Amino acid sequence: MSNPALSTGGQHLSTDEKKVLIKSIISKYGIYFVFLGLVLFMSIMHPAFLTVNNILNIIRQVTSIGLIALGVTIIIITRGIDLSSGSVLALVSVIAASLAQNPDWGARMYPALPMLPIVVPIVVGLAIGALCGGINGFFVAKTGIPPFIATLGMMIVARGAAMIYSDGRPVSSLTPEYNFIGQGEILGIPFPVILFAIMAVLCYILLNHTRFGKYVYAIGGNEQAAHVSGINVGKYKILVYILGGVMSALAALVLSARISSGQPGLGNMFELDAIAAATIGGVSHSGGIGTIQGTVVGALIIGVLNNGLDLLNVSAYWQMVIKGVIIVAAVVFDMRKNARKS
Amino acid sequence: MKKLTKMLLVSSMAILAGCGQKDDGRIKIGASFCAFNDTFQMYMKDAMDAKAAELGDVDVVYTDGKEDITIQLSQVENFIAQGMDSMIVCPTNGDAAKSISDAAIKAGISIVYLNRMPTELPDGTYYVGSDERTAGQIQGKYIAEQLQGKGQVGVIMGIPGLDNTVKRTEGVKDILKDHPEMAVTREQTGRWMRDLGMSVAENWITSGDNMAAIIANNDDMALGAVAALEASNMKDNVLVMGIDATPDALAFMKDGRLDATVFQDPVGQGAGSLMVAYNLAKKQPVEKETWIPFELVTPENYKDYL
Repeated sequence: MSNPALSTGGQHLSTDEKKVLIKSIISKYGIYFVFLGLVLFMSIMHPAFLTVNNILNIIRQVTSIGLIALGVTIIIITRGIDLSSGSVLALVSVIAASLAQNPDWGARMYPALPMLPIVVPIVVGLAIGALCGGINGFFVAKTGIPPFIATLGMMIVARGAAMIYSDGRPVSSLTPEYNFIGQGEILGIPFPVILFAIMAVLCYILLNHTRFGKYVYAIGGNEQAAHVSGINVGKYKILVYILGGVMSALAALVLSARISSGQPGLGNMFELDAIAAATIGGVSHSGGIGTIQGTVVGALIIGVLNNGLDLLNVSAYWQMVIKGVIIVAAVVFDMRKNARKS
Repeated sequence: MKKLTKMLLVSSMAILAGCGQKDDGRIKIGASFCAFNDTFQMYMKDAMDAKAAELGDVDVVYTDGKEDITIQLSQVENFIAQGMDSMIVCPTNGDAAKSISDAAIKAGISIVYLNRMPTELPDGTYYVGSDERTAGQIQGKYIAEQLQGKGQVGVIMGIPGLDNTVKRTEGVKDILKDHPEMAVTREQTGRWMRDLGMSVAENWITSGDNMAAIIANNDDMALGAVAALEASNMKDNVLVMGIDATPDALAFMKDGRLDATVFQDPVGQGAGSLMVAYNLAKKQPVEKETWIPFELVTPENYKDYL
C-alpha cells in the first residue's frame, strides 16, 4: 500500500487494497488459520482444552501419526505414496518388543534370551523399518510399478509378517528403559513430543537445506527434467522410501513403548491418517509441493479434532462424520490459494 | 481389472478345489473368523486346533474375515465351492448373517455360528457361544456393587457398529439404569486397541470429569485406561474393568493394576464349536444352541484363570 493510493484514491481503493492484502495473507497461511480457528473454538467450548497438560497430551497422541506423516510428506513430494506405514509399524512393534521383554515375564517370546541392551531393539526395529521402506523403494524405482501398488503389497505383507511373528498375540511386559521411549519425560516434556519435534526439525533441514531436499522437489516437480539434469532419480526414490520406513519404525517404538506392548494389530489405518495430515498440511499429490511445517500443522489438526471432540463428548459416530468433513473442507480452503496462484 | 480379478478368483478356486480333491475320508471343516488380529479369536482358534488334533480325522481351514461380513460371505461361498463337510463362522455382525445362512442352506451344508449370535437361526444353522449382553451386565453389576450404587461411569467401546461393541455397552446400561445415582456420562470408541483406549482415557482425565469407573468393552482398552490413569496418579480413584481375561489383563490384576474383568471361555467356545461341526459332518445329533457362560474375575479369584 503506497501513500499516493491512500491520499488520492480515497476510501474505495484503499479498502480494495486492504482486501487484497488480507486475501493474500489468508491464502498463504490458510491452513494455519483453520488450525487457530479450531483451537479457538475448542478453547471456548471446553475450559480444560487450552491447558499445558492437554496440549502435551494432544501432541503425544499424534506423535505416531505425525512421525509417519513426516516421512510420507517427503514421499508424496516425489509424487509417491506409502500405504504400508501402519503395517510396517505393527511389524516393527512386535519384533522390537520381543527383544525388550522383562526377563520375569511368563509369556516371554524368547524365554532364554538374556537382557539385551536397549539399543538392540531400537536398532533392529529401525533396521526392519528401513528394510521394508527399501523394498518399497526398490519396486517403485526399479520396476516402475505405481507406488500405490508397491506399497499396497507391503501393507498386506508386513501386516501378515507381524501376525506370523507374534502368532497373532500381543508381545507384552517391556522393560522400563524401553517404556521410556513412549512414557518418559525430560524436564516435564514427554519424550515422544521431544522426539517428534527433533524429527520434524531434521526433516525440515533435510528438505530445505540439503542437496537431498533440492532433488526431492526436483523429482516431484518434473521427473524427466530431474533425470536429464543428472539426478540419479532411482537412488533418491529408494532413499525417500527408506526414510519413510524408518519413520514408521520410530512411530512403532514410541507407540509400543507407550502401551508397553507390541501388537500385530497396531497402527491399523494409520497410513490414511498420516496421508490426511500431510494433505491437510498442503502437500500436493501431483508432486513437487509441500512443507514439513504444513504437515506438522496437519497432524496437529487431526490431534485437536480427536482430543477436542472427545472432551466435548461428541458421539463416536458423529466424530467420524465431522472429521471427514473437516479434512475435506480444510483442503478445499487451502486449495483456493494454489488455484489463484496458477 | 475386472477380468484380472475374475481370473485370479477362478485360478485360486481351482487350486483350492484341487487341494480338496484327494478324498481320503477325512472330514473337512471351513472356519471363518471375524479378525485374526483379535487376540481372543486366536485363543478360540488354538482350542479348535487342539480339538482337531485330538479327533485326528478332521482338517480345518481357517480364514480371516477382517471385521467385514461381506468378506466372510465370500469365504463361506469358497468353502461351499471347496466341498466342506460343515462350516464354522464367527460373524462380524449377527444382524447381517442372514445371507451367509441362506448360502449354506442352499448348498445343504450345515453352519455353526461361533461366539456371536445371529439374529435368526434357521434350520441347518447352529450356535455355540456366549451372550455378549450378559458380559456387559456382569461389568455393570460389579461396578455398581463396588461403588455402592453411586458414581459416573465412562464406557470405552470397541469398533462402532459391531455386535459385541453394541451388546456389551447395552448390557452395562441395562444394569446402571436401575441405579438412580449412577450414569454413563461418557462413551467413546477405542477400536479394541490399547493405544486408542489410552488416548480416550487421557482425554477424559483432561476433561476434569469426576469419573468413578471406566468400563471397557475389552481388556486391551481397559489396560490402556489403566496406563493413562497411572500416568496422572489417578488410578486409586477410578475403578477399571475389562472383558476377556487375557494373559496381559491377568498379569495386571496380579500387580493390582486392573480391578476386574470378565472371563469368556475361548476353549469352551472354540472346542465346542468344532465338536458341533464335526458331529454335523458325521450326521450325529447335536444341540441347536450351546451356551458357554461368562464368568466374573476379581482380585479374589483371578488365580483360577492364570
